[in-house]
Amino acid sequence: MGAPAAPVGVLLALPQRVGAFLLALATQIGGVTILLGQILRRLNPARIDRHELFRNLNRMGVRSVPIISATAAFTGGIMVVQAAPFVEQFNAKGFIGWAATFTTFRELGPLLIGLIFNGRVGANNTAELGTMQVTDQVDALRALAIDPIAYLVVPRVLAMISMMVVLTILGDAIALGGAMLTADLLLDVDPRIFWASAIERLETWDFFVGLIKSLLFGVMIALMSCYYGLATRGGAPGVGRAVNASVVASAAGVFIADYFSTFVLD
Amino acid sequence: MPIRFVNIHKAFGPKVVLQGVDLEVADGECFFIIGASGVGKSVLIKHLIGLLRPDEGDIFLGEEEVSRLDERALYPVRMKCAMVFQSSTLFDSMTCAENVALPLRKHRGMSMKEAIDDARRRLEKVHMQDFADAYPAALGDGMRKRVAIARALTLDPEYVLFDEPTTSLDPVSARRTDELIRRLCDEFGVTSIVVSHDLVSIFSIADRIAMLYKGTVRLLGTPEEFRNTEDPIVQQFIQGRAEGPMEV
Repeated sequence: MGAPAAPVGVLLALPQRVGAFLLALATQIGGVTILLGQILRRLNPARIDRHELFRNLNRMGVRSVPIISATAAFTGGIMVVQAAPFVEQFNAKGFIGWAATFTTFRELGPLLIGLIFNGRVGANNTAELGTMQVTDQVDALRALAIDPIAYLVVPRVLAMISMMVVLTILGDAIALGGAMLTADLLLDVDPRIFWASAIERLETWDFFVGLIKSLLFGVMIALMSCYYGLATRGGAPGVGRAVNASVVASAAGVFIADYFSTFVLD
Repeated sequence: MPIRFVNIHKAFGPKVVLQGVDLEVADGECFFIIGASGVGKSVLIKHLIGLLRPDEGDIFLGEEEVSRLDERALYPVRMKCAMVFQSSTLFDSMTCAENVALPLRKHRGMSMKEAIDDARRRLEKVHMQDFADAYPAALGDGMRKRVAIARALTLDPEYVLFDEPTTSLDPVSARRTDELIRRLCDEFGVTSIVVSHDLVSIFSIADRIAMLYKGTVRLLGTPEEFRNTEDPIVQQFIQGRAEGPMEV
């Protein structure tokens, strides 16, 4: 009697897992969509806690400048190091400035800064909101007749989106500085030639494509990190799980948004 | 205006916590809810300000039925009915003064400076003025609780819900807290519902006491009635005996 049950159990296990995964996915997509709706409702009319907004702009943006600068500078340099053999082989020194600028503006700048921002700011945001949730601080806000979405979430979302764009502009500039310096030292490309190549071939739109992408990435990271933070349950292990889920979901969201926006914006 | 809980039922999944609680708390009364851990005392008072919703039953704050109000409609209720949580729930990212100043900024329209100045004066009343600029993480449990009480009283509420206000306090601070709760009732007419295990508090400041047991009210009465009851379960609880008929 017991023997046939095992294959049935095995056969059911896969659809059960798929079903559970799809249910969890639907719950998360639904939760993020509801959160987005709640945020938009609080922005019309906008009643933003300025103190909380400036606090978040500082800790999410200003304090991210060192890590973003270091990452961007090395990324710019690495781009030139990777390209150096081909540039020399095809004697394409006149193109290196354009290639570095185009790649930085359109893709590498927003993408890498988005991933660093996700790791630093998104994870921190989820951990903070998650800790507030499991220690009843969110309920304490509600008990004080303060709307947690308006007070906690809206300033964070606005700060994350705006700072993602600002940091991308800064990161782009520093990455190009790193690329220019490396090109000068490694390939003996004069900075004037580097810039002339960039200015001659680059279009303004290339720069804005990167900014639009960074805006999308900022929205993605902000929504995911706030959603997973507020959905945290189960004490300290729950906070750990929420941070993990937030970072993974935001990174996946950034790549998916990058893929589709690349098609649309081209 | 009295507070009335009518036939409140609440379950969390398969765990049934409240199974038909009926209570009425009079204006200006210092009302204690006692009972073993996990019996649903905190759950019951959280229903009053809509932090939890009953599965069945009604809750009246005066004439207003509050258990069906949506989140936005509950804000006026919460402004007149404050709550001091068991774990203090101070905001970690703010100093003590900023914690107390927050409701003043949000509801009294004060600037940050005005609110902080006011918060410092309020912290003096709970003997925490020297720690106004300290972050909650740097304070002990008892000190955090005193700041939480100061924060809860910022909006001059008509009702205050205290969830184990003297737990983790030293005896002197505990008695000071008792005095504060009693003074709120006597001098300011504030209605206080206090969830507590602290027998000294219960028998020194309570006007009336309700004991929850197995999801319902086991005994409702004055401290004197509790002392004199022959109910073995109530007697075991108030005498703190390990042995007895009480199932925990």
